Amino acid sequence: MGSVTGSPGSSIAPIAAAVTVLLLLGIGIYAVAVLDRLVGRAVAREPLRLRAVLIAPVREAALLLMQQRISTERPDAQLWAFAPALLGALAAAGLAVVPASGGSGMTGSIPGMSAGIVYFGAAMAIVMVAVFLQGWAANSVLPLIGGYRFVAQALSYEMPLALVLIAAALPAQSLSVVEIVRSQHAVWNVVRQPLGLPLYLIAASGLAFWGPLNFPDGADLVGGTAAELSGAPLLFWKAARTAVLVAAAAMGAAAFLDGWWGPFIPGPLWMALKTLALLVIIILAGHLLDRVRLERFVVVSWVVLIPVALVDVFLSGLVALWTGGQGGGP
Amino acid sequence: MSTQVLLVLAAPLFGIGVYGALSQQSFVMIMMGLELMLNGAILAAATFWSLSAGGTPKGQLLAVVVMAVMAVEAAMGFALVVNVYRIRKADITEKLKALRG
Amino acid sequence: MREIVFWAMAIAAVVTAWRVFRADSMVRAAYWLMASFVAVGVILVLLGAEFLGLVLLLMMAGEMTIMAVFMVMFMMNPAGLNPMTMVHQHRTSIVAGVVAFAGLAGVGILGRFPDARVSEPDRATAQLGGELLGDSMLVFETAGVALLATMIGALAIASSKGRYGGADEGSAPPELGRAGEPPTTKAGERDTGEQRAGQHEAEDEHAGHGGTMSGMEM
Repeated sequence: MGSVTGSPGSSIAPIAAAVTVLLLLGIGIYAVAVLDRLVGRAVAREPLRLRAVLIAPVREAALLLMQQRISTERPDAQLWAFAPALLGALAAAGLAVVPASGGSGMTGSIPGMSAGIVYFGAAMAIVMVAVFLQGWAANSVLPLIGGYRFVAQALSYEMPLALVLIAAALPAQSLSVVEIVRSQHAVWNVVRQPLGLPLYLIAASGLAFWGPLNFPDGADLVGGTAAELSGAPLLFWKAARTAVLVAAAAMGAAAFLDGWWGPFIPGPLWMALKTLALLVIIILAGHLLDRVRLERFVVVSWVVLIPVALVDVFLSGLVALWTGGQGGGP
Repeated sequence: MSTQVLLVLAAPLFGIGVYGALSQQSFVMIMMGLELMLNGAILAAATFWSLSAGGTPKGQLLAVVVMAVMAVEAAMGFALVVNVYRIRKADITEKLKALRG
Repeated sequence: MREIVFWAMAIAAVVTAWRVFRADSMVRAAYWLMASFVAVGVILVLLGAEFLGLVLLLMMAGEMTIMAVFMVMFMMNPAGLNPMTMVHQHRTSIVAGVVAFAGLAGVGILGRFPDARVSEPDRATAQLGGELLGDSMLVFETAGVALLATMIGALAIASSKGRYGGADEGSAPPELGRAGEPPTTKAGERDTGEQRAGQHEAEDEHAGHGGTMSGMEM
């Protein structure tokens, strides 16, 4: 989706872009699965057993693919099939605006989308729809409760997420993610907006319902929205949710850790390293922290996190005005 | 993608919204009809902004105002629906007969 | 390519809008409406109003989920497992809808509109920002205050605590006793009152929660 004028001859590029994004998501999902096990073993002080951990996600995927697929009585079959696909598509859409190098989008075929941050925000807002549908479609109590919990959680983290990304966009004077990365070459956003990255990590783990904020799929709901899933749909659901985490971490790396910029190794590799760093932080939080209570999280989010995010926007604006802003263009 | 085509596209959205707002018995469905009408209005406003007004920024402002109206109407509508249910136990319009005849 | 996407989205917008009122399952109705908004949002992006289209998508994701939650709260038949039609004055409303469509489409086809395309589509967002905080600052501030008033008003209306107790008890002052004596206990503390309050508590919390959620939109 470019500007009104469009760009001729770009009909092959979107296909290449989609394939690249899906490949990167696949690598990201595998990386998160491996990191999850590694960090879990490290936290539990067990031997790391690298080879077994590297094979384990593949084994789990194969096992799930071979498992019998059990369904419920009178589910909403179309919505039940649609929800994981929607979640995966949103993760891919979110990842597509994250720049891997000095060009424009991930593969250069979303030419300079001038409102990339808002596009990412919109994709992550529709995640609420996908998880609610997943909880609703199974026609079963526990997934429904999980879906409702995610609606409450999503409405709570959405404002801090949007505000923190806006604060990251302020010094760049642009909503384009490429410009945001370029505006950080002197000072990273994680340094000059200290409130930004912690808030973003909280919102990102709420977005991918990971670790302490795993309300829809929590163990107290016996797996929640995933409770009635088995076999291939369960694999797709877990993969889609991990993909959302990867996309959120990639955007965090771009918005706060200055994306592709780095001295010796090429841009995309820096991008991957920074994304992995954020993923390790979120996964570590997932293993170290208990799942909080939903009521407490909602109250803390509305009463504490939103004012802190507003303070972050205000301070970021002050700093931007003070230093005269960097980057340029719309 | 001319003005005519887009307005002929916004018209059935508005028309279906009118049909929904008038024909549905349940409060929430009536609100969905209202949302559809506002959907058509936003599309028409953006059409005029993009194709007939040369991109003057006040055209976008009109669309933003219509979106704000959508939010206000949805929020107050739901609050009133909840309160009406609490007081009158009415979830469809047929049950609100206190002022009839 | 853009033309193909535009026509696909145009047809999708109208078809999904029609399906909103034909769906048996109420949650599906809410999400058909969401699909209509998504189609309109994509058309807005194609028209060059990128920020508006994306913000429309963002808003509507939350709003349609709240609508789905309210459907489940209020409709007899949220999953459409027992299909039933609940319409009144059906023919009148069809006529009204057709008249509205004919009128607007007539204006669209027969009217003569100036042909001035947007000149700098890449600067549309910046121009909107400059307009909101420049010439139309009053509109912006008024909209902000209106939204604040909406939030407070929606919470005040939907909140589950009345002045004298729970919402279904306390919106009226306590009644007099049988012989005209004033009540000995406060409203909401009677045994039957408590039982009823407890019974409605789940629904009030649910509704209060829903009211809170809808009041906190945007």
